[in-house]
Amino acid sequence: MSIDVKHLAKLARLRIEDDKLAKFEKDMESIVGMVEQLPDVSGDAWNLDPNHPMKLREDTEGMDKLPRAELLANAPQMQAGCVVVPKTVE
Amino acid sequence: MELYEYSAHELSKMLSEKKCSSEELTKSVLDRAAATEDKVGAYLSICDERALAKAREVDEKLAKNSSSLHQLAGIPIGIKDNISTKDWLTTCASKMLYNYVPPFDAFVMNKVNAADMVVTGKLNMDEFAMGSSTENSYFKKTHNPHNLDCVPGGSSGGSAAAVAAGSAVISLGSDTGGSIRMPASYCGVVGLKPTYGSVSRYGLVAFASSLDQIGPMARNVTDTAMLYSVICGHDDMDSTSAEHEYPDFAANLNSDVKGLKIGIPAEYFGEGVDDSVKESVMNTVRELEKQGAEIVEISLPSTKYALNAYYIISSAEASSNLARFDGVKYGYRTENYESLIDMYEKTRSEGFGDEVKRRIMLGTFVLSSGFFDAYYKKAKLVALEIVKEFNAAFEKCDVIATPATPGTAFKLGENMGDPTKMYAADICTVTVNIAGLPAISVPCGKVNNMPVGLQFIGRKFSEQTLLNTAFSVEKLNGEAKPVNV
Repeated sequence: MSIDVKHLAKLARLRIEDDKLAKFEKDMESIVGMVEQLPDVSGDAWNLDPNHPMKLREDTEGMDKLPRAELLANAPQMQAGCVVVPKTVE
Repeated sequence: MELYEYSAHELSKMLSEKKCSSEELTKSVLDRAAATEDKVGAYLSICDERALAKAREVDEKLAKNSSSLHQLAGIPIGIKDNISTKDWLTTCASKMLYNYVPPFDAFVMNKVNAADMVVTGKLNMDEFAMGSSTENSYFKKTHNPHNLDCVPGGSSGGSAAAVAAGSAVISLGSDTGGSIRMPASYCGVVGLKPTYGSVSRYGLVAFASSLDQIGPMARNVTDTAMLYSVICGHDDMDSTSAEHEYPDFAANLNSDVKGLKIGIPAEYFGEGVDDSVKESVMNTVRELEKQGAEIVEISLPSTKYALNAYYIISSAEASSNLARFDGVKYGYRTENYESLIDMYEKTRSEGFGDEVKRRIMLGTFVLSSGFFDAYYKKAKLVALEIVKEFNAAFEKCDVIATPATPGTAFKLGENMGDPTKMYAADICTVTVNIAGLPAISVPCGKVNNMPVGLQFIGRKFSEQTLLNTAFSVEKLNGEAKPVNV
């Protein structure tokens, strides 16, 4: 199957440079060629392990609170206590 | 004998008997790292000052009252770099997180710190744990201490290589499709992939959330058991964390295999697995048979689809999990951009390596409209078949024995040009993650001077049985010692 790498990259918010496109196409085609060999099995694909069901914690406030400054310390660009991003609304 | 050469269980005694201090031990391990890192390259960062300060703190506690301390107090440990360490770089071996300093500790780090263990540094890995050789690290290559021309396996290659070389006494890795067991096998150490849900994933940078599990690595089974006891347990912060009572694994170790039923699945001894590896594994299993274990033939026919299902499911989850890396709140951000979308695309294209991009695109592909049923849904159905087959097999046997890897460690660069060839190295390990089972890799011999790992797979929460069985193999071969490099 031929894979449209440019389109996939766009969906995934990636950009593949033109000089790497051919190699990515070849790799993606061989990977998809490998994984597509699957048998036809019928049934419900979404059942969970009844012995170990997931449990949601209480929706309570105040678990592991961190100071704002510590949380924002990793942000690439900050101004007046806010994360700076390019203009999103014209 | 230098202090770094001892095992954690020996050192634990030596510390409590005041035969050495944690500071002396930590210095010995850090000196060993200084002497071997040029060749092995297991660490991404070494926190020597922090480690020595912690060691001195433990020594003071030991001087006051050693009996109240944890058995592993004062023992140096290395941590895979996808496990969040408060105030210390956690890069996932990616340019995307080259400068990321977590403001919190992972659940396992809280446990490790509460046990007063001494963290020596963060260990190299494949970028975002995607790979089977640690060659996908953005920062450096790690070499196998048994042969520096060979890879250490992956993705927890640094965790395995450090323990094998003696630059760590024990370490933590993570296993999504074999990332603990495969490097353990290649580097001749013990690695346990615990039951899904038994170790909290809180603070583990997510790759494929339904498969990821943190686990211990060590040069012997006793140390592995001791470290597993530290990190297992329920955590409210991980909604998939199991409520379960765990025994004291190390105290209960027992190498008696009389009456133990060992299942041998033909599917793991077929094409694609080296004859010498099969022979090494079967010779060991026959030794256990001589000691009273019973060998049972079992069948796991869906194994032939496991790799395909694994790469579909794990990549689908990865494409979603890695959407968070956008250059906004943390990590790398591209320098020049014109719009928000431009910033996202440039940041992600410059921040992720090629293998991560391939997996994100594969995940995007299998989840996209028109392909979902043919790929993702089918893969999930195959996963259910795999679970059913394991359940049927465990009606007939207590543990399943297989090779941990289809061959011994390959040469650096050998598989880098061909992703599907690299993926094939995971053939023996991925089914375990798909089924959420525990499995252990234990050294069972050497082929051409390179270690071979024997994998035991068990029922959910049967870690004690797995550790006991691995312990019986260790009794045949002896505990591993740090390799000369």
